[in-house]
Amino acid sequence: MFGQELLNGVVVGAVYALFSLGLTLVFGIHRILNLAHGAVFMWGALIGYFAVTGAGLALLPAFILAILGGALVSVALDLLVFRPLRRRQGDEFGTIIVSIGANLVLMHLAQQATNAQTLRFPFGIFPIHFYHLLGLRVSLQQIVIVAAVALLVIALVLYLFRTNLGTDARAVAIDERTSMLLGINPHAVYFGTFAIAGALAGAAGVILGIAFNSVSYLMGEPIMLQAFVVIVLGGLGSVPGALLAGVMLGVIQTLTTVYISSELSDAVVFGLLFVVLLARPRGFFAGLHTEHRVA
Amino acid sequence: MGNLVATYRPLFDLICIYAVFAFSQYVALRAGLFSLATAGFASIGGYAGAYLLKETALGPVLSGVGAILCGVAAGLFLSLPLARLRGAFQAIATIGFVQIMVSLSLFAAPITGGALGLNAIPKVASSGLLVAIVAVLMLLLAVINRGGIGRAFDAIRQDYTVAASLGISTNKYSRYAFALSGAIGALGGCLLAFDTYSIQPDLFGFPLLVFAIAAVILGGRSSVAGPLVGTVFLMVLPELARPLADERLLLQGALLIVVIIYWPRGIVDGLVRRWHDRDAAQDPQARRDRHGLPAA
Repeated sequence: MFGQELLNGVVVGAVYALFSLGLTLVFGIHRILNLAHGAVFMWGALIGYFAVTGAGLALLPAFILAILGGALVSVALDLLVFRPLRRRQGDEFGTIIVSIGANLVLMHLAQQATNAQTLRFPFGIFPIHFYHLLGLRVSLQQIVIVAAVALLVIALVLYLFRTNLGTDARAVAIDERTSMLLGINPHAVYFGTFAIAGALAGAAGVILGIAFNSVSYLMGEPIMLQAFVVIVLGGLGSVPGALLAGVMLGVIQTLTTVYISSELSDAVVFGLLFVVLLARPRGFFAGLHTEHRVA
Repeated sequence: MGNLVATYRPLFDLICIYAVFAFSQYVALRAGLFSLATAGFASIGGYAGAYLLKETALGPVLSGVGAILCGVAAGLFLSLPLARLRGAFQAIATIGFVQIMVSLSLFAAPITGGALGLNAIPKVASSGLLVAIVAVLMLLLAVINRGGIGRAFDAIRQDYTVAASLGISTNKYSRYAFALSGAIGALGGCLLAFDTYSIQPDLFGFPLLVFAIAAVILGGRSSVAGPLVGTVFLMVLPELARPLADERLLLQGALLIVVIIYWPRGIVDGLVRRWHDRDAAQDPQARRDRHGLPAA
């Protein structure tokens, strides 16, 4: 029983990690706390839903479309909101405020598009199939979720450490002015970071939308709260930290819901955030930083 | 005429109460904090005030004082980890705080009434009282701004490191700001409970957080009149243009983006700045005459 709950927690945590990676990446490279990341996630789920129900696509093309859609929304956010602010020398405070504004606008548009309804994917969109491994019931869905998250994380690491654009991004994370002097195009780096963060959020949106079979314009808010805890626990800006902390939070939350109370799981999660801020504001995986951390 | 007053009195009362929320947010920003905790403080003050008024024999004044003390306690509690952290951490933790207060008020049904909230709260706040409270609050904030605390807030807001190197205890003043913001936010929540007969958890959620920050950004973050002007603007505009009332959050979101990018000082501070610039552009003698100074 305990092992089963642990497994469920790891699967949910993997999705939290996927979502939080984008948030921590944008903060680590550009020092932007993008509070509209939850809205990008929600739009990913919506695009996936409309691709399946409206356009009649199969799940895999819909998933890819949602990833592209998430990237598009995220890049649009940078071009229309953050870039004009940068051009006018906005500070950290300004970026947080405009991202709150952008979050409201994106949520409002989604509310219009869905008539404020909670949408459900058609029944049987994902084959229901169970395996028995080491005494645990593992569903095909859980295996696919973990595999998809692992693939996307490997792609992210390859991008950051094996491509020129990734090297540029890491240089900008260390010092944006110096890297510009060295001939790095900052617009390309912003484009790349926001596109990847949006793609990860879009993927997470479809996965959670199918896993819980519920898509609504409000779905971005609770996951933002989880992601706050994940990125603080893992160290703001740390990629391996977000990954580990995401899985850890999923496990903690699942175990709290099962063994203590489901209503109190939010309070437990926030209590954790408070304790981490009090005891170790740089996060518990800050020891991993310097060379591994993007910032 | 009497009809007109009766029609618009509820709106007028709400403007006063929401201005108090805007002042709570204003104090935090003034002190250089990225705190968005006003809605959470309001929730604590609202429930504490309503509970004390309904369930105890303390009476309205002492209930209000009790609510404010709860707000101060919440502010100090938040300042434990947050006074020594900056920027993004404060924003993250305070947004989390607001969401947790919403889920706690849903969970603690025996005290808060759960999703239905607390109802049949005696109406003990009158329009006159609300106006008086807003006036006293503005006076108090103006006095604080001019005194040593206000100057320390200014220094910390403009440059944290320089303020610390000048011997200003940034932790101490951040704690003061959290406590003051908590007190004012709780006062606003308490007034809302005392004026509108009932409170529910969703009154104190993300929309209130957005309203408070939007009012201060729009009105201006520096002068005391800023939050009031921002509140009046945000409350009256949807009444004038009815279709806007349904799009309130869209309007506030778009305003936040546009104002921060293109008019970061806000209405009042922008006008004050323009007046100063015009003043400075005049020739020195004319300016001296206008201010009643002797010729150079």
